Parts: sequence; C-alpha cells; structure tokens
Amino acid sequence: MAARDTLPAATRSICPHCGITLDAELVDRGGRVILRRDCPEHGLIEALAYGDTARWFDAQRYERPGAAPLRRQTATVRGCPSDCGICPEHAQHTCLGIIEVNTGCNLDCPVCFAESGTGYRPDGYSLTLAQVESMLDAFVAAEGQPEAVQLSGGEPSIHPEILKMLAAAKARGIPLVMLNTNGIRLARDPRFAPALAALGIHVYLQFDGFDDATHLAIRGRRLQEVKQRALDRCAAAGVGVSLAAAVERGINEHELGAIVRFGVEHPAVNGVFFQPVTHTGRHPAFDPLDRLTNVEVIRGVCEQLPEWFREDDFVAVPCCSPTCRAATYALYDGEDLVPLPRLVDIDRYLGFVTNRAVPDLDVAQALSGLFSASAAGGTERTAGRLECVACGVGLPDELQQVAARGFMVVAQDFQDEWTLDVAKLRKCCVGEIVPDGRIIPFCAYNAAGYRAQVRAELAAATT
Amino acid sequence: MTRSLPDLAPLDFETDPKGCCARLYESDAVRWLLDDQLHPGGDRLTRRLAQLAGIERGRRVLDIACGSGATALLLARELECEVAGVDLGSRAIEHAVDAAAAAGLQARARFVVGDAEKLPFPDAGFDVALSECSLCTFPDKRRAIGEMARVVRPGGTIAIADITADLDALPAQLRSAAARVACVADARSADDYASLLRAAGWEPVAIETHDDELRAMADRVEARLRIARMLAPPGEQRDRAAEASALAGMAIDAIARGTLGYALIAARRLASWSDSASSGSSDANRAALGERICAQLIQA
Repeated sequence: MAARDTLPAATRSICPHCGITLDAELVDRGGRVILRRDCPEHGLIEALAYGDTARWFDAQRYERPGAAPLRRQTATVRGCPSDCGICPEHAQHTCLGIIEVNTGCNLDCPVCFAESGTGYRPDGYSLTLAQVESMLDAFVAAEGQPEAVQLSGGEPSIHPEILKMLAAAKARGIPLVMLNTNGIRLARDPRFAPALAALGIHVYLQFDGFDDATHLAIRGRRLQEVKQRALDRCAAAGVGVSLAAAVERGINEHELGAIVRFGVEHPAVNGVFFQPVTHTGRHPAFDPLDRLTNVEVIRGVCEQLPEWFREDDFVAVPCCSPTCRAATYALYDGEDLVPLPRLVDIDRYLGFVTNRAVPDLDVAQALSGLFSASAAGGTERTAGRLECVACGVGLPDELQQVAARGFMVVAQDFQDEWTLDVAKLRKCCVGEIVPDGRIIPFCAYNAAGYRAQVRAELAAATT
Repeated sequence: MTRSLPDLAPLDFETDPKGCCARLYESDAVRWLLDDQLHPGGDRLTRRLAQLAGIERGRRVLDIACGSGATALLLARELECEVAGVDLGSRAIEHAVDAAAAAGLQARARFVVGDAEKLPFPDAGFDVALSECSLCTFPDKRRAIGEMARVVRPGGTIAIADITADLDALPAQLRSAAARVACVADARSADDYASLLRAAGWEPVAIETHDDELRAMADRVEARLRIARMLAPPGEQRDRAAEASALAGMAIDAIARGTLGYALIAARRLASWSDSASSGSSDANRAALGERICAQLIQA
C-alpha cells in the first residue's frame, strides 16, 4: 500500500450511528489529523484520528508493502469494510490471530469492547475445544506458519477447557501463544500459573493503573491486590507477562509512567501495551475530538518518565498501518534504562519510503521481527532478535545478558465506529478468527458490525 | 564476531590537550562510543561539505586532523581527489595508510603525522583545505586557519565542518578541560568562525547549520555511555562511564537549547575576484561569492 503523503487524504469510513459506509477524508486541523465524513441521515461526523499532523506524516515513512496470506476466505463484493475476511482487497496477512473463546466473564467492567459480563446474555456463547481447534487449523491454513495467537474472551481463563485450547495452539507450532486475562484466576488458583508455565504461555494481563478511581472507572472493582498476586504467581512460576492498559482521557492518563516503572521492576513483566479505550461496546461518555491516540499516550509516557523516554524513542510499527501501533524496546539493568532506538538508527533499517541500501540484512530482519504486531517482550524469539541487533551494531557481548531482558513498550490505537479508516483497516494485521474459519480484521470486527453478527450466529447455534 | 566493552581510560588534558585529543580519537573506546562515525552526519555531511566547498573531480584536498582517513578516502574514492591527510596521532595515520592501501587508493591518498598549527606542507599546494570537527579542538584557532590559508592556492577554498557553541551560555562542566575532547569546550559560534576566517582574509560563501545531526550523534554517545555504565564492573570504570554520560546528557540539553550546534562553512580568499572566478568553482558558488562581495562593497 502506498504511503499517504498529503492531507487531505481520501478514504472511507462508517457512520457510528447507522453503520453505513461513507466516503471520508483525513484533514489537518490545528496540527492534528481529523477523520471527517457526512452521513445523509446523521450529518457531519468528525473524530480525532491522530494527535499530531507532523508525526502523522513522519510515521508514513514506515508504510511497508504487506505480504499476502496463503489463503483468503471471502470474495470482495460490497467493498471494504463489508466483505471481511480476509477478502482479496486486504493488503496484509495476519501477524496476530485472536480467538475469543467465550463471552462470559468474572467481571462486569464499565469499559468492555467485547460487551462481556457475568450475567446471562441471549447472545452469549462458549466455544468448544473442537471449535477452537478448527479455528486454529484455519489460521494455520491461512498463514502457513502463524507467528502469534491470543486466546481472549470474555474471560478465557474461566473456560473449563482453556488449558487444552492453549495446548492445541502450542501443538500447532505457533511460537507466541498468549492468554488475555484479567488475572482473577491467576490470583485465586495457585495451580493456574504453573500450568501456563508448563505449556509455555505468555500472559497478556489487563493492568490499567494503581488508583482505586482508575479501577472503579474502568473495571468497576478495586483489583490492585488481585493484579499484584497474579503477577507474583506468574513470577514464581516463570510465566512472562505483558501488561495491557486501557487508557482513557481523564481517568488514568496520569498513571502511564507509573505502570511502565512498575513493569520494568516486576520480575514477571516484560512489556506494557497501552491501548486507548475504543468507544465500541461498553465505554464511558467521551468526546470524539478529544480522544487519546498513540501521540497522546507516548507523550504522556515521556512526560511522566522524562529520565527514560523521549517521543522519538517510539517507532511506528510497519506491518500494520504506521499510525496504528508504535513500539520501543528498552534495556534495563535495575538502575538505568536505555531505549534501543538510541543505540541503533532504526530508520536506516525500517524506513521504507526512503529507498536506501539496508546496512545489514540480519539486523534488518531482527528489527522487523521486533517491531511487529506479533512480538512480545521477554520471549525467546524477542531475546534472540535483540541479541542479533546488539551484536550487529557492535555492542559488547556482555550486553546480551541485558538485551535478553529487553522491555517492550507499545502504544496501540485500535479503531472504533468513530475512527474507522478503511485505508488503515486494509493493512490491519490483527485478525479475529471466527468459528466459520473467517479471519476478520480486529477493528472491523469491533466497529463494522461483525461482532454482533458472529455472536448472534453462535448463540443461535448453541440454543 | 565477539566484542568486549572497551577500556575507558582516563585522559590527561592538562599537560597536552591537543595530543590528548588526537590520542583519544584513536582509542577503541571512543571509536566504539561514536559507532565509528567520528563526526556528526557521517559520510552524508562530508558529501554535503564537499558540495558546498565546490570540491570537484580531481581536486587536491588536504584533510586536517584526518584521523583514520575516512573523509580523505571518501573524497579520493568518490571524486577522484588527490588527497593528503595530516593528524597528530601516529596510530591514526598508520590506520589511514593501511586503509588507503586496502582500498587501492595509495596513489591518490597520502597521510602524514603533523600539527595543524604547523602543517608539514609547502605554500599553495592544495585547492582545498578541509577541517572536519577539529578546528574546535585546536587551542590556537587563528594560527590553524592561518596555516590552512597558507597551504591553499590563490582562489582555493577552506572547508570547515564544526561544532558551534555559545560559550557564555554553556554549563561550566562542559567548558572544562574534560569536555574539550568532545569538541565542545573550545568551540565557537558560527559567527565567530566566520570572523576568524574574515580576519585571515577569507570570506565565508556558504554557512549551513545541521544541529539535528549533532543531536543524533550526542544521543548515540550518551546511550552507549549509559550502556557502558551498565556493563562495567562497579568501581572506577563504572564511575567514569557515569560521569561521561552525565556530560553527554548536558551536551544534549545544550543542543536542544541552541547553545551547541553543528555548522558547515565554505570560505574563499577575498583578495582577488578573478582568482576565484578562474578556480573552476560552480556557477552557483561564483554567483554567491559575487553577491557577497557586492554586499560588502555596499556596506563599505
């Protein structure tokens, strides 16, 4: 897909009120990028797409042509985003597959894009092991050698067959198998973390901050002790963890730095993923023109940890659209922290628009693997790639010990009904694997009506 | 390839600042800290400087404080220049001679040990005298420029790439001797360099600032010093790395404030317009020179 190098830029979006597809454009307004479209019924609709126009242009250098999947599951009939997926118009394979094994949860969070919960819902479902296995097979058929899969929900840890499902993913040779969890079972069930360790599972733990007010606003319950116990059990069992923070304007923006600091110091934690709250499913009231994007998240991290991070330490991840995800790795020795981009000129390896000779192909490949939606901190692959980069740029051998513990910090701005930009969506590399074998780009699944559709189908099939 | 953390040796500035500086740039530790890119912008800014100075194919160029000869060899390779390099460090000169031989450029590139303030070359033997990131380290800049002027033929060019500094606004630590080696403590503003050139009878015909490249370099050095601190065993080595990285951090702040920067300057001798016109410089440079001379006449 060609890099976008001018604004206004034409794209398509949807109406958040009625869901119809509309021509749209990205425009610069006061140094920020706004997505705007006109719905015949609901009028002018605008939302903040990216918090800094100069950085938006800068990120476009990281627009890299996608790679085709081995298999596509649908035909292009009505045009994006109505033919998922993956249809022939889609411009990227799936780096990270997500399987939502249930809709039931042991929490009722005020923020939940998946609209999960403890009570009965007429459109609730719980997949069988056989269903999950066939979905994993579909993923393998589409990808050949998938890089990463995440079992999610609902709350997947309460599914009675979750360990078998995770084992099934491992059995298919997928290197990174993650469990997306709120940590309640990890905290309560002393056997759970050791069982995950035995399978080699990486935990993706909801972790939104420390203040009671944050927990109450986002999760509806004070969960700090639960999180701490879950993490300590992971550390004791040797399970690697990425913290996943839902970040919302006015709620926990002030805790970004504290979350990173906590993460680098906790022995189980290898990375932090900051995700601006998507205003889909259940969410608090919000102003679409004052939402958080990666720009505000990264700025917040840097303002709260000026001794560690600067905005240019974060690199646009090139496998998806470059304003979707930004990441950095940091080397930490218990005292000081040095972001990897200060040691190696990453732009020379990953900046695709400037057509320059890449200095070292091994290093370029390792960096490509590190700055990908299929990467997580602390895994063997990540450690190997960090070592390759460290060696390739002439850093001393002693550094490999530190590099192996490279800490990842990610900002990931998923799209919702307000921000859906078809040009970005076509490059999406995070896919919801659904029971009929389709792989639906994650943001389309949430924003373009697929979630409700799939749930209705599954609920009908199980009743 | 295995590589260990280089020894961060203490330096002796007080007795021999210039020699110390030359030795420093020969050291493994410094080469490692700079990632073998011994001046801001690397080859990219070297090419830009050559362009500004109108260095054309086959010109005779002297590189002052040439280190291991990277810039001289680049000019010999890419522009078929006939280059000479001079440096105080004998190890650097050995490296440069070896590198020239390895690249098959020994016929066009010679390297000698020598002092920038007393160049071992006769008068007027070069088209261009070039000083990259070194003028700031010379204690007697007037004399160094005088020497460059002496060895350049009438109508030739002096090309300078250097750290620029607003000395009064620099923190004291950066101005101290420890900072001299990092091209900071005795750097001048771009205006001061221009004045030094004018005082010697040379007119700057192009001045370009590239502070962002200095920033990128300082960042790399600071990050590597912090890595060195992480890896060094507790004790003297670690303290030295911590101290140096703090200094580098100060330099980064100064760059952000505009107190430190990096500039490329090309200058021509004012004496005779016809000399310049016949020197084979590009039309654009000639026009620029003409404009500047006119402006000076009007001012006068």
